[in-house]
Amino acid sequence: MAEYMAYRLSFFLWRVRVNIQLLVTYFLWWAIFSGRTTLFGYSEGMMLTYVLLSSFVRPFVMGTRTQEVGVMINDGTLSNYLTKPLGFFRYIACRDAADKLLNAGCAVVEITLLVFLLRPEVFIQTNPIILVTSFLLLLLGMVLFFHFSLILSLLGFWTPDVWAPRFLTLVITEFFAGMLFPLDILPKPLYLLTTAMPFSYFIYVPLRVYLGAIPWQSVASAFLVGIVWVAVFRLAADTLWRRGLRVYTAEGR
Amino acid sequence: MRTIQRYFKLWEILTVHSFISVLSSRLSAAIFLVGKMARFLLFSVFLWALFRKTESIAHYSLTEALFFYLTFNLIDTVTQLVFREVYRFRQLIVTGDFDLVLTKPMNALFRALAGGADPLDLFMLLPYVAALVVVARSLPAVDPVGVVLYIALLINAFVIASAFHIVVLALAILTTEVDHMVMMYRDLTNMGRLPVDIYREPLRSIITFVLPVGVMMTFPAKALMGFLTPGGIVLSLVIGAVSIAVSLRVWRFALGQYASASS
Repeated sequence: MAEYMAYRLSFFLWRVRVNIQLLVTYFLWWAIFSGRTTLFGYSEGMMLTYVLLSSFVRPFVMGTRTQEVGVMINDGTLSNYLTKPLGFFRYIACRDAADKLLNAGCAVVEITLLVFLLRPEVFIQTNPIILVTSFLLLLLGMVLFFHFSLILSLLGFWTPDVWAPRFLTLVITEFFAGMLFPLDILPKPLYLLTTAMPFSYFIYVPLRVYLGAIPWQSVASAFLVGIVWVAVFRLAADTLWRRGLRVYTAEGR
Repeated sequence: MRTIQRYFKLWEILTVHSFISVLSSRLSAAIFLVGKMARFLLFSVFLWALFRKTESIAHYSLTEALFFYLTFNLIDTVTQLVFREVYRFRQLIVTGDFDLVLTKPMNALFRALAGGADPLDLFMLLPYVAALVVVARSLPAVDPVGVVLYIALLINAFVIASAFHIVVLALAILTTEVDHMVMMYRDLTNMGRLPVDIYREPLRSIITFVLPVGVMMTFPAKALMGFLTPGGIVLSLVIGAVSIAVSLRVWRFALGQYASASS
């Protein structure tokens, strides 16, 4: 918080950007539904709820400080942390949690304000089991993204170009996570491809469960596959970290 | 005339240096290029998926929507190609290196605005232009007058984009904040990926006249398709002229406030 508040204008403009991105997607779908009641099996209210929630969930799941790890490796500041008696992954996870908390706090206020101003027909899920399930899937997506982003940063042990792979994966993630639209509007083969990838767990799966549109059998398999992805990513991150430390030369220090 | 020639020569030298710098890491450049291509293709997939279930959106067919999207990409890419240096301007301000720009016998605005073109955007232009020509050929009722108006309004769009970027530079001097400002500009212009007519009022008027995203991104394609009135054409040219005049005044004001505090 103190770090962000040191650059207050920057933080304020960042939040303005987040809201502009939300409004761009919101108004796009609002426009598409003009003169229609349903599209792709979604009512206008369901679709706008999805868009609003995806904007709320995005900073919670995908707001991260792990990109700093790549920079730390490349400029040698990682050494400062290696000499301290703390687990590096745990330290980064704590920074991430603080970041998410701040962003989620801001998002709650902003989205409440936007809902008050725009007065969209929002779908509110009242089933406590569905609410808990979608929240658990959200946590799963969060853990998954943390490791995914960490892996991208750990490439810094072998290359100084850590931003290019991040840019490419961001483009792919934005589409396949379902930020702009629910993935099930895609043609069936493409939809099946998206669900086979881990990205759908970041946003689409938790929100689709929230909207109550996934049968319980599929929810169970979503949990199972999600946990397998977390295990795979954790293993990959641990392996890259161990091997990376062997080649780390603290260049730049 | 000699001044224009001199600045063109300068731009050529700065561009060559920038290209060498960006292409020094070929793998990185290739990945960025793939990323840009993927972004274009994935949004095209979204458009296609959208039009599978709807014959038209706000009376526009898939071909027309695709032409709007390609025009948006053309304007956006040329703007980024030429004005990439704006994204690096903050560093000049916070380190005080802008002093070195001011002491050179070169217009500081020119250096800050166009001093580092991006070769990756140049590579992206080729498929965009090719796709534009292919899609334009399948549009109904395209005549030579429409083509002339399209090119004229594209130039007008670049003028408005220049004005936006000059204001961003001015604000960077006043606040040292440029990163979010320029990304806000890009977020807002993203609304022009589809014709602004699809948006409901009052949003449509706001993004057409207040933040002239519609004039920039949508009007050229509408002129080509014959959907733009003579009044709309004149209005967009006026908006272009006014925005560049205002941005230059803002820049001069900001330059007067520059205190060289970091050096």
